[in-house]
Amino acid sequence: MKNALLILTLSVSVFFTSCENDDNETPINAITPTCTDGIKNGDETDVDCGGSCTPCDTGIVNPDSYVFEREGENTVNFGGQTTRLKMGDEILSAFKDDTASAAKIQAMYAHEEGANDFEDADLNASDKSVRSKTAASKDLFGANATDQALIRAEFDGWISAQVDEVFPNWNVAAEAGTAGQIADGESTRYVSAKGLEYNQLFNKGLIGSLTVDQILNNYLSTVVLDESDNIDNNNNDIVAEGKSYTIMEHKWDEAYGYAYGLNADAANPNADLGADSFLNKYIGRVDGDNDFAGIAEEIFQAFKLGRAAIVAKNYEVRDEQAEIIKEKISTVVAIRAVHYLQQGKQALSKETPAYGTAFHDLSEGYGFIYSLQFTRKPNSSDSYFSKTEVDTFLVDLLGDGENGLWDVTDVTLDALSEAIAERFDFTVAQAAE
Amino acid sequence: MKRFSVITLLISLVWACTSDNAVSDEPAEVSFERGPMLVNWADNIIKPSYESFSENLTTLVNSFETFRADTNVSNLISYRDSWVEAYMSWQTVAMFEIGPAESVDFRFSMNTYPTNTDNINSHLASGEYDLSLSSNRSSKGFPALDYLINGLGDTDDEIVAKYTSTDKEELMMYSEDVLNDMVLLTTQVLDGWNSGYRTTFVENDGSSATASVDRFVNDYIFYFEKFLRAGKMGIPLGVFSGSPLPENVEAFYKADISKDLFLKGLQASQDFFNGKHFSSTVKGESLASYLVNLDTSEDREDLSNVINSQFDKSRELVVALDNFKIEIENNNPATNMLLAYDEVQRLVPLLKTDMVSAMSIGIDFVDADGD
Repeated sequence: MKNALLILTLSVSVFFTSCENDDNETPINAITPTCTDGIKNGDETDVDCGGSCTPCDTGIVNPDSYVFEREGENTVNFGGQTTRLKMGDEILSAFKDDTASAAKIQAMYAHEEGANDFEDADLNASDKSVRSKTAASKDLFGANATDQALIRAEFDGWISAQVDEVFPNWNVAAEAGTAGQIADGESTRYVSAKGLEYNQLFNKGLIGSLTVDQILNNYLSTVVLDESDNIDNNNNDIVAEGKSYTIMEHKWDEAYGYAYGLNADAANPNADLGADSFLNKYIGRVDGDNDFAGIAEEIFQAFKLGRAAIVAKNYEVRDEQAEIIKEKISTVVAIRAVHYLQQGKQALSKETPAYGTAFHDLSEGYGFIYSLQFTRKPNSSDSYFSKTEVDTFLVDLLGDGENGLWDVTDVTLDALSEAIAERFDFTVAQAAE
Repeated sequence: MKRFSVITLLISLVWACTSDNAVSDEPAEVSFERGPMLVNWADNIIKPSYESFSENLTTLVNSFETFRADTNVSNLISYRDSWVEAYMSWQTVAMFEIGPAESVDFRFSMNTYPTNTDNINSHLASGEYDLSLSSNRSSKGFPALDYLINGLGDTDDEIVAKYTSTDKEELMMYSEDVLNDMVLLTTQVLDGWNSGYRTTFVENDGSSATASVDRFVNDYIFYFEKFLRAGKMGIPLGVFSGSPLPENVEAFYKADISKDLFLKGLQASQDFFNGKHFSSTVKGESLASYLVNLDTSEDREDLSNVINSQFDKSRELVVALDNFKIEIENNNPATNMLLAYDEVQRLVPLLKTDMVSAMSIGIDFVDADGD
């Protein structure tokens, strides 16, 4: 069977190759490119179509919502992603329970099948864990176990710091150099001696290290999508054993699940963005800013068209959509990083500086800056910012004095904002409000 | 600020287009001085309001001491009356969250509701609490007293019975601590105004984002939108949550005063707009006179009239309502109260868009992030 497929593939390749040779024999200096010259030239994406010509017939059937079926059976499944997002939400709740032990929160983070870590029994029964997918993408960490270990240690550290530094001072008023509670409007925030809210670091850090990393650097990567004989199987509609979907379809859906895994109607997720505390919520927030309205739809459409392209076995269109998603989701992370730095600056500049409000904003900003190392430039193997650059930013954010955020200056906040925004197609002012 | 240059440009263009009908082609010179308005606000409104509130608070403390010394129904009623009076008086100062008030987080410390009865009961049981903590703001102030004075039993006899039971010491001690906290904060705010902030406030009479007028107009509108409109009406009505929350009315345990508390706050807002001296009919320089002065063309004079008419219309509809809790509990949807709320809501764009753009004041607050 396999041999037969191989021969088929080879003959198809030969067939295509000979066609391309024909095209190349046509003189290319004859005339300016037109949409009727029978040559792929100009900005055309195929012979006489695409670019400024009429769109090519891709054979792609792009549905209105994220619904894909094979012989009447649903092929979209991302239960593992939904499970991890739910685990993430429960872990965040535990950060606010000052009676929780570090061991308990750590066990939730590194859940093992059957352990009684969560309120939700289904989560306890699951063999999935959040920690095992932290900084776990093939592209960025497949050959970088060192950074993976350092990053996971950082998340472990935020758990123990919350329990060891903040919980003992739960009923103490925070001041410079002293952990404790502080007012932020009608809310009460719980911060470290340097003004950091560890739950925000953990939460916004996971947006990068879990959701963004898994989507952009793992499931949308050709290394994962095209692994092994995924292309052959997808070309021939050979489904995963006992499943309705091909492996490639499923990989794409797993990316989708990290973005939309908790929406009420996952086929139309933009109806209730904010369904979880991670990427989903902040796609919604950025979309709610007039400067970036429409970005949620662009991300969703790219996911949908890319998935439809897989069904149509059109990997060129699939990969174009993956690049769009990489750029847009990376931009969401960067916008929020700058947004919170600027909100923090505004809170500190009041006649009576609103420290609690500022620390909350800047702790969110800290987490989003941390997440920048998991972004991904389109058509590149690099993230927008390296781990080293991100680490330097974070040292700077806490480096204006010995008490961290208590001492941070406008100059530092603006410099960080500019340094982030300049690698993207938005301004600090656009992200600020 | 760029926004306002554009608005100015647009206004200029409109002038140019309509100059044929105008008496004069020249735009009226803006002669309004912000300094005297700040003086009027500080000396004739803000400080006298705080002083009066402080006196009401002293009366409340005295009534409590009487009740403590001689715990009976009659003294409970006097104590409650003093609480109502002080709570009404609070409505005249709640909007002044600037300077010393902002420093001590006055508004949330004095009036965060619904009060956290679980927390209060746990404090009563343990006897260990620090009322200065942020997390205890929902366990003190007027709403905590509401629970302690009105919420411990269905009848006055039942309430007095609590205060004469084995829990007596804890209840009296907690009430005293709550009252002391309120007095301390109020003293700090009043002292702040008397010992320097009045001068700071009045002398910062420019027109930049950090000038007193710009700052205070923002605080005033923020109060109106978030605390008067949303806190007292919108949130209990379920306008933001989608489902009615009658337990979120102000003074929940004495719900027949929620409406009066709102009306007092509405009146104080309108009086401030008109520069009315505290407890007097005399008016000084104000947002209203500023609007009239900004432009003698009919449009602008209209705006202050429009705002006053909208205040009046809002009041008219709210006055006609039953008490808020009953309106919300007995009607689904609470149509009459929602109609009244809509009139109150109409003041928001008048103040937050029309008035501030006329005065070239930028709004510096956005809807809270919600996380």
